[in-house]
Amino acid sequence: MRKKLCFLAFGFYFGFVLSRVGASDYQVIFRMFTGEDLHLAWVILTAIIVGNLGMRYLKARGNLDRDGRAIAIKKKELGRLSIIGAAIFGIGWGMAGACPGTVLAQIGEGRILALFTFSGMLAGTYLYGYILARWPGVNK
Amino acid sequence: MFQAIFVNTWPWWVGGVLIGLLVPALYFFQNTALGVSTGYGNLVKIISRSSLPWLQGEKFADTWGWRVFFIAGMILGAFVAGRLSGRPLISRGMPLFTEVLNWPFFAYALYFFIGGLFLGLGARFAGGCTSGHSIHGIANLHKSSIIITIIFLVFGVIAAAFLRTVLLGGGGM
Repeated sequence: MRKKLCFLAFGFYFGFVLSRVGASDYQVIFRMFTGEDLHLAWVILTAIIVGNLGMRYLKARGNLDRDGRAIAIKKKELGRLSIIGAAIFGIGWGMAGACPGTVLAQIGEGRILALFTFSGMLAGTYLYGYILARWPGVNK
Repeated sequence: MFQAIFVNTWPWWVGGVLIGLLVPALYFFQNTALGVSTGYGNLVKIISRSSLPWLQGEKFADTWGWRVFFIAGMILGAFVAGRLSGRPLISRGMPLFTEVLNWPFFAYALYFFIGGLFLGLGARFAGGCTSGHSIHGIANLHKSSIIITIIFLVFGVIAAAFLRTVLLGGGGM
């Protein structure tokens, strides 16, 4: 339970920051893709650099977490259809002006249409499970 | 001061630094990789009580796992941010889109549902989303995440260009 409350707090922080920096704003996302306003691109780039420096710092300190366990970095392996999946995701990102994280911030902010984006994501996730049930090795 | 923190949109570097810190912080405190979209699997399992084999896997063994709490926290955090900034409690939410076009409500709903469907399906096949691949993955210099992120962005640009020329008639938004 303590772990879950910790994640509730981290989630709160993440949602708060996404909202305050405008990452949940349709206009900001759309304008990043049209190249008119790179505010959000700079946010993402800064986050990547800071995240990288933070991971380097942890490594320099012995790569241990708070409880003294070795930090196990999770690497994502690509499947056969990952590239196509990424293309579909990109189209959704540009269409809905949200990604799986920012849509949650949009809902918190009271943006009604985000509920439909969210429902669509649940349906898409279910569809993935359904496809895997029919063709188990499809994305191996 | 209150205005700068709670009302005005933050400068990009403030948000970038605070989001970036999440990556090492989650590893340090919970030995966990930052990621959001896998949690949608937990939500689907909770809502549909589905027997899909994918949802019976080890990843979703704890149905009400931390991912659900992370998602709930994100909604709450943005809710508080929205209240403090003086946003209306409920709005249509995609102002530039809904103001330029004049669609009936159900057409917007369908449009965003389809966008969401692409996001949900695409994220699973890609193995993650913006936070898991683009931020966590690239911060750890994973080649797979760099490739995936480039494709995310290229197709986001294509979708926005299409939207702009076809739906909005080339007009500004």
